[in-house]
Amino acid sequence: MKKIFSATCIAACSGALLLAASISTASAAEWPTGDVRLVVPYAPGGTTDVLSRRVADLLKDALDTNVIVENRPGAGSTIGTGRLARGGRDADHTLLMASPGHTIGAAIYPDLAYDPVEDFVFIQNVIDIPNVMVVPASSPYQSVVEFIEAAQDKNMAFSHSGVGSSIHMSGELFKTLTGSQMTAVPFAGSGAALPALLGGDVDVSFENMPTVYSHIKSGDLRALAVTSAERSPYLPEVPTLSEIGEHNLDQFVTTAWFGLIAHNSFPEEGYEAMQAALDEVMERQEFLDFAEQLGAQPGQVEGEEFKQFVIDDLARWEEVAQQAGISQ
Amino acid sequence: MENLTEVLQLFLSIDNFIAIALGVVIGVTVGSIPGLTATMAVALALPFTFSMQPVAAILLLVGIYKGGMYGGSITAILIRTPGSPASACTLLDGYPMAQQGNAKKALKAALFSSVIADFISNIALIFFAAYLAKIALNFGAPEFFWLICFSLTIIISLASGSMVKGLLAALLGILLSLVGLDSVFGSQRLTFGNYNLMDSISFIPLLIGLFAIPEIIEFYRKKAIPHIKAKASGVGMTLAELKRCMKSIVRGSLIGVIIGAIPGTGATAAAFISYSDARRRSPNKANFGKGEVEGVAAAEAGNNGVAGATLIPLLSLGIPGDVITAIILGAFMVHGLTPGPIMFQENLSLIYALFLGIMFSSLILLVVGNAAIKYFSLIADIPKSILFPIVLMFCVYGAYAVNNMTFDIWLMLAFGVVGYLFNRTGIPAAPFLIGFILGPMFEDNLRRSLLISNGDMSIFVRGPITWFFIAITFGSIAFAIFRFFKDRNAKLISN
Amino acid sequence: MSSSGLSNVKQIKDTLDVITGVVLLLISLVLAFYLVPNYIGEPSILQNPMMSPRWLPNIVSWLILAFSVLLILQGILVSSDTENDERKIVKGPYRRFIIMLIAFLVYVLLFETLGAILTGILATVLLFLAHPVRVWWAYGFALAFPVGVTLLFVNVMNVPLPLMPY
Repeated sequence: MKKIFSATCIAACSGALLLAASISTASAAEWPTGDVRLVVPYAPGGTTDVLSRRVADLLKDALDTNVIVENRPGAGSTIGTGRLARGGRDADHTLLMASPGHTIGAAIYPDLAYDPVEDFVFIQNVIDIPNVMVVPASSPYQSVVEFIEAAQDKNMAFSHSGVGSSIHMSGELFKTLTGSQMTAVPFAGSGAALPALLGGDVDVSFENMPTVYSHIKSGDLRALAVTSAERSPYLPEVPTLSEIGEHNLDQFVTTAWFGLIAHNSFPEEGYEAMQAALDEVMERQEFLDFAEQLGAQPGQVEGEEFKQFVIDDLARWEEVAQQAGISQ
Repeated sequence: MENLTEVLQLFLSIDNFIAIALGVVIGVTVGSIPGLTATMAVALALPFTFSMQPVAAILLLVGIYKGGMYGGSITAILIRTPGSPASACTLLDGYPMAQQGNAKKALKAALFSSVIADFISNIALIFFAAYLAKIALNFGAPEFFWLICFSLTIIISLASGSMVKGLLAALLGILLSLVGLDSVFGSQRLTFGNYNLMDSISFIPLLIGLFAIPEIIEFYRKKAIPHIKAKASGVGMTLAELKRCMKSIVRGSLIGVIIGAIPGTGATAAAFISYSDARRRSPNKANFGKGEVEGVAAAEAGNNGVAGATLIPLLSLGIPGDVITAIILGAFMVHGLTPGPIMFQENLSLIYALFLGIMFSSLILLVVGNAAIKYFSLIADIPKSILFPIVLMFCVYGAYAVNNMTFDIWLMLAFGVVGYLFNRTGIPAAPFLIGFILGPMFEDNLRRSLLISNGDMSIFVRGPITWFFIAITFGSIAFAIFRFFKDRNAKLISN
Repeated sequence: MSSSGLSNVKQIKDTLDVITGVVLLLISLVLAFYLVPNYIGEPSILQNPMMSPRWLPNIVSWLILAFSVLLILQGILVSSDTENDERKIVKGPYRRFIIMLIAFLVYVLLFETLGAILTGILATVLLFLAHPVRVWWAYGFALAFPVGVTLLFVNVMNVPLPLMPY
């Protein structure tokens, strides 16, 4: 069941809703049988947390049950995820909001107590936030190609929000693919990294769209490219990295993705009920508005496709981590 | 004129007043419970603001932030349990005051200086935002590095008694702060493969462990002192005392404003810098750390001065300086507003309505704080044999609540034992805490500077801001050495 | 011979400082020679020694070593001018202290298995008995607080404290 959002017209939409309704009535008797827990493997207040709370709020209506958000932060996202992987009594009613931390964490942390693919079922990709390659307004580089050419003999500093963040790994991926000379400069979160970028202390960053969108609009930062597969509707004039085509960049597609996963003992009826509920949530206007504010797009993959996506993502980051010398 | 009516229309809504009042009440309550931080409360309140009007929504969150900043001081003073990290400095003098039967005075001093600092901070936000934002943008890694170096010199003035012990404490703090993943390479440092340590040692369990638990251990270790049936809460603060502290409060507020305007330093550092500055200048220097009302006032002024000022980079640049402002940024975006220069052009009325609300929140803080003191100060009259077991329970729940991990309870009790040993051997806990907070900032900014400059050391002297902080860093050290010899000479002469 | 040894001991002005210094000295040695080289990973390529994850830990270890030596010297040579009462406490009965330790252990060992409410009540009652609280209604607090605070944390603050024994 491939879902392309731009293609949903009203008829298909109502059809899907009918389908969703019939599935949820069919399985409502078995799942959910109580409160649903949504584990957020990050601290309150971050993007993942805000997003999860929003989704939980909407899921409440769709599932007609209480959805409790539980923060289990630590060590990237691996502590919360490790807890879910252990299963236990509530595993049949526990979900987790996975993000690039899931795959990057597995790529850079040694001896994880769980298998990032086999221990989980992959329900649905909920939202995708593209990263944007930005340079300060004062930067001489007007395009990605100009930047790469300059970076062949000049060392470029790129800021990121912490080792293993999607921002960091995007930079490392860019460095590996294009053979540019780049130095990663770590900051404690995107907020701390922004002044260095605005002030011109670092040459470039691969920041999340919501962090830099207003600065791009105000002209303080210049967007050279977005990292997603297609151009972002919010920055339609900015090319994607993959469409540039030179310097191996056709392989550069990455987003900060967020999706729901569960322990692999998660019941089949729950799996179906969740997919139906998420389909419903993702068509709600509140959800679409929220996605728009983040400069994000609703998720594209679910089920097996989502799982394959995670496998590919993991393989890619493992390679990048190794090349960058981050893996231990 | 047209603008003014629009501003008033936006501001004069009953929702806004309810939001501010509710926010401050929630903030003070949550802030005063160890382990529950204003950050948590703001994050939890965020979903409720989705359906509110933007002004009311932001004011609710700002109210919680400000209330939380003050609320932390209540338990710091009464039971030596800092409700929030920033109030750790308040307890240095606040708790001794409460022990001497001046709980109410300490609480009032904390409240008044909080409100005054808050007010000054708001003024700075409203009138000097553009100017301060410019400073913030010029504050890169090397400037930060020197600011941290300067902040480290306050250890000298915090090391009451023995300088050697103070420095040892600070070094131990730095050492423990380095546990976790290396910020540049991601390699493990002293984690011993333990996943719970990879995000470094959690701050709040450490804080509670270091300050609250030793009191409890000591109480059960010591010979029982018969409970004296007397009103321990004491009297409030006199006007003369407030006047005496005024200079320190204003200076502390300004320190808070500057630290707050620079993203990423934090209220805790501001509180300690303000405290040590007040101590350096005060005629009652010897009384600091033993229950000096000026110490409480200076610490609280420093940490509350930050609150309004952190909104400066947020509103004028769209840069969140800490986690709370990051959440507030999220709230703006949920309502389709993007803080930054554009907002000043497109939504000026809304910004001024917010400013009015923020000013009003200082007043609410005064009222709510006064009411809180009335009831909270009764805690000082509860016999310790009843109070301490309940405090311990709060500490355990609070330590768990930070990351929802039992490991943090272990950590808290372990630091309790460390704190107890510190007390027994005369090693001061405050420099340890400073080392723990500033250690990673020192290292990160040093390495960040070198990464930016590609190893060129000249980046550390690249501009007037670096020179300014180099000058005050060395000035501060020179002053301490001068002081040391002067005191020694004075002692020799008197002998 | 023995008397001169004894007088040497007597010359130590502050025994506690000397002991503290020795302990810290040992810690710094363990750090510098065992923990830092073995438990801090270092990347194979480094442009600048200051970039190494071991750089600051090494410096801190050696500084602790230096200052602990100073502390030992200070303890031997300088008598602390204020025989400060803060460091010394008059010890109470061991029974009370041991019950407190048991209460600590109750919290860390049983928190997950018994849940927050039961451990809270158990530990609080233990501590009430340790430093005997003879006012009967105070024991009501030992019940009311753990229950009330747990419910507050779980329901209002969204903190998933472990609730009940499974």
